Order: sequence, then C-alpha cells, then structure tokens
Amino acid sequence: MGLLILNGLANGLIVGGIYALVGVSLTLLYGVLRVVNFAHGEFVIAGSFLAFALFSGLGVPPLLALPVAAIAFFAAGWALYYVLIPRLALSDDPELMSFLMFYGVSIAAAALMLLLFGADSRSIDDTFSPVSVPLGPIYVSTARLVALGITAVLSLALAWFLFRTLPGKALRAAIMNREAIQIMGVDIVRLSAFAFALATALAGVTGVLIALVFPAFNPFSGAEYTIIAFIVVVLGGLGNPMGALLAGVIYGLAEQMATVFLPQAMAQIVGFAILIGTIFFRPSGILGTRSRR
Amino acid sequence: MENASRDEPAALELKGVDVAYHGDIRILRGLSLQARRGLITGVIGPNGAGKSTALRALYGLLKPVAGDVLVDGRRVTGMPPWKFIEHGIALVPQHRSLFNELSVEDNLRLACWSFRGDRARVGEALERAYAQFPMLRERRRDMAGAMSGGQQRFLELGRALALRPRVLLLDEPTAMIAPRISADIYAFIRGLPAQGITVLLVDQNVRQCVQVCDHLYVLELGQNKVDGSARAFREDAGLRELIAEWVDYRIDT
Repeated sequence: MGLLILNGLANGLIVGGIYALVGVSLTLLYGVLRVVNFAHGEFVIAGSFLAFALFSGLGVPPLLALPVAAIAFFAAGWALYYVLIPRLALSDDPELMSFLMFYGVSIAAAALMLLLFGADSRSIDDTFSPVSVPLGPIYVSTARLVALGITAVLSLALAWFLFRTLPGKALRAAIMNREAIQIMGVDIVRLSAFAFALATALAGVTGVLIALVFPAFNPFSGAEYTIIAFIVVVLGGLGNPMGALLAGVIYGLAEQMATVFLPQAMAQIVGFAILIGTIFFRPSGILGTRSRR
Repeated sequence: MENASRDEPAALELKGVDVAYHGDIRILRGLSLQARRGLITGVIGPNGAGKSTALRALYGLLKPVAGDVLVDGRRVTGMPPWKFIEHGIALVPQHRSLFNELSVEDNLRLACWSFRGDRARVGEALERAYAQFPMLRERRRDMAGAMSGGQQRFLELGRALALRPRVLLLDEPTAMIAPRISADIYAFIRGLPAQGITVLLVDQNVRQCVQVCDHLYVLELGQNKVDGSARAFREDAGLRELIAEWVDYRIDT
C-alpha cells in the first residue's frame, strides 16, 4: 500500500504538471480576452499529433518537437486570433458568443485531425534509456520524469515573465482591469493577439508533453482535456494564472490518489466533485479572496 | 483669461455626437462641447444626463453613431483609446483605473508603455509623479489596492500627470472621497492650467465645479441644456435659477 501511495504521488505530480499547463493557458486566454475557448483541448491534442507526425514522418524526437510546436502554434494562434476574434466584437454579448464559436472550432479541429490522422489511437514509441529510473523504492518512467522537468521549467519561466517583465505585467494588468490598460496607451488588440498566441503555443507544447506522459491519444481526446482545463481554471480562480498552476497539481494529485483508493469508475467522479465543491465553497478559487470585475 | 483662446480650435471637441446602446437607446443626442486650451471646462447635470458617457465617447471608449470627435480641430472619430496618450490626452475615469495587484511603481511604469524602452524618459515620468505626490514615493513598493481611497486617487492623478499631458479629462475625481482630501484635489485641479494643461472636468459636485471651472456645460437627457462662463453662471439670475432647477443646487452669489 505504501508503494502504491508513493506511486500515486509521483504520478499525481507528473500528470498534475500537465494539467497545470493546460489550465494556465486557458485561464490566461479567458483573463485577457474574456473569451471562453471551448477548443482548448483540441489545440492541445493537435500538439500531440504534431509530435507524432514529426516523429513518425521525419524521425524527430519529441524533445526536438517542443520548440517546433512552440513556434508553429504561436504563429497559428496569432493568425487565428485575427480570423476569429474581431467577429466576436460585433456581438452584443461577446463572451457568450465565444462559447458557441469555439465549440464550432473544436468540432472542426477534431474533424480535421480525424481526416489527417484517422480514428486510431496513436502513441510515440521513442524510448529513453534507461526506460525507467528508481526513485527511492519506486520506479518512474524516464519519459515522464523528463516531462515533469520540462513542465517545471515552463511554469517557472511563465511566472517569471508574468511577474518580472513589463509585458507580463501588462498582461496581468489587462486581466485586472481591461479598460484601464487601454487608457495607459496599450494597444489591447495587439496585447490580446499576443495572449492568444502565447496560450496556443503553451497548448501545443503541452500536447507534445502529453505524447510523452500518456500512453495514447486520438482526435477525440481533446474534449477530455478541455473539461480538465475548465476544472483547473475554476479551481484556480478565473483568470488567475498562479492559481491555475497550483490547481493543476492539486487536481492531478487528487485524480491519481483516487485511482489508488477508489474503483476506476469512481476516480473519474473526483474531478467533478472537486469542480462542484469549488463552485459551492470557494467560487473565486483556491487563491481567490478578492472579487474580480 | 476667459477670452484668450476663442479663435483657435478647441483642444478637444465633441460635435453633434449621438451615442446609442443596443442599437436603439440613445444616450447622447447631438451633444456638442469644447475643451478650450488653457481653461478648465466643467460638465454638470443630473444623474443620467450622459456626463460620463460624453467623456467616454471623447476618449474612444464608446463609438458615436453620429457626430465627430476633434483634437485640435482635426477629426479623430473612431480613434481607439490607446492612441490618445500619443496625442497628449490623458483620462482619469470615474471608476477605479488602478491595477490593484501591481505595485504603485508598476502602475506608473505601465503608464509609460508607449516609451517603455526609453529608460531616461521613464525615470523622468516616475520622478514627476513622485514630486507631485511625495506619498507615492514612500509607498512605491506597496500594492496599489492596499492604499486608501484618497491615496489611490492621488496615484491615478499622478500617473496621468507623469506623462505630461496637454489635456486632462477627469470624471468625478472626488466621488466617494473624504471632504478634506476633496479640497486638496480641487486645489490641484485649479493649478493645472498654470502647468499648461487644459482640463475637462465632469463633476456631480456642482458647488465645487462652479468655483473651479472657467466654462460650464449643463447636460440634460444626453443633450446640451445650456453653457456659459462660470462668471455668467454666478451672476446671471436666470442661469442660477436654471441650475437650481436642473441639478437641484443653488449657486451662492
């Protein structure tokens, strides 16, 4: 039992890191743009498929796929912003319309992946040597440990950017007060495009990491990650990036520990229980004590 | 001073502006007003008269469905809000415009966004704000949201002033501020023209506004009701009556 718990903790941290990245990119997007990206999970899985295509087509290992995904998804996000978002501004209620629009985008993205890669589940068989590493009494797969390291570095880099640089502070300022940042002379359209591109790049990179951590993915896996992202965002507080990072790890730990103690089917319920509990008892999230406009 | 700048174009002007919500509900109807250079222009009127809406339309935060916005006589209708700083026009809106979870200094630095690469100029701007309100220097590492209401208002004013604007738009700068601090804020506003700053002041405090302004506009239901020099408002019995009636305040002679 002790080993199982240790295993659960290790896996919880690894999986939680992935959830943290999925959540932080979605919450940044919502915070800055007030847009609900229902297609976020599809963006993530598109990153997994990019890694798969690079590996099976050109033999590029997943670690090298990371920078490729970051650049490609950043560019795609930037372009997608200008295609999609200006249309929302025509609506009386852009936030609600964004829901519908991105629901459409998610269906289209999943269909496109289905067309390109087929319905079979895919995995990347690139193995590290050794395949697993002893960590005290337990063994953890090397690929998963590498993914955890990358997750940690990305989270720290993101935190540094948001809290130590002026553009990062401008992003946070836009989350705190979207009108005031415009009065400061900040072009909100360009800042939003940057936030969209950054969030999309993070989603793509997370997708590559998912290919390292999880056994398989298919074009329909996106919806699952969208739901996880929403749980993490609510748990961390809407538009609160640090909250999302912490919430992702908490959610990952809870989910993995639940598989240790509860039947498989019950473990899935844990996520929703956390979501509902948060909404009931801490509606502004684990870190949220202040109300936001 | 009052007639100093009649002939040159106003620093900022609304010309026959209509603003509508949800396509149909007109908030402003044919509203015209001018902020003339070197003067303090006041905008008063009962609640719901469209005072704040007029200011938001001037600053590009709302798009007029008809009419024009002019800067120095040039048409800038539809210009987005973030371009106004480049034209030397700063706004302190009615509702809090601070970034509560950023430090006082970061709030000031963000105002320097358009020249963020120029360290000397940013330093100069910070220094200007600190010189104007020394309290800000003492609290520069504190979160903006941790300060009192009055201090937050001084930070907003200092932040706007740090950029050396030619024109400053103020929307109810003393709303929900303690009377003693309000007096300081009005004294500060009164001193702005001497620094070469044109002021457009929207205020619900008619008593103070009449005393501080050079020229006054009275709005009603999104339209111009009447306008004139502050002296005319103080001396003309008919105007005084009108003010008493429209904004429920009797001007002292």
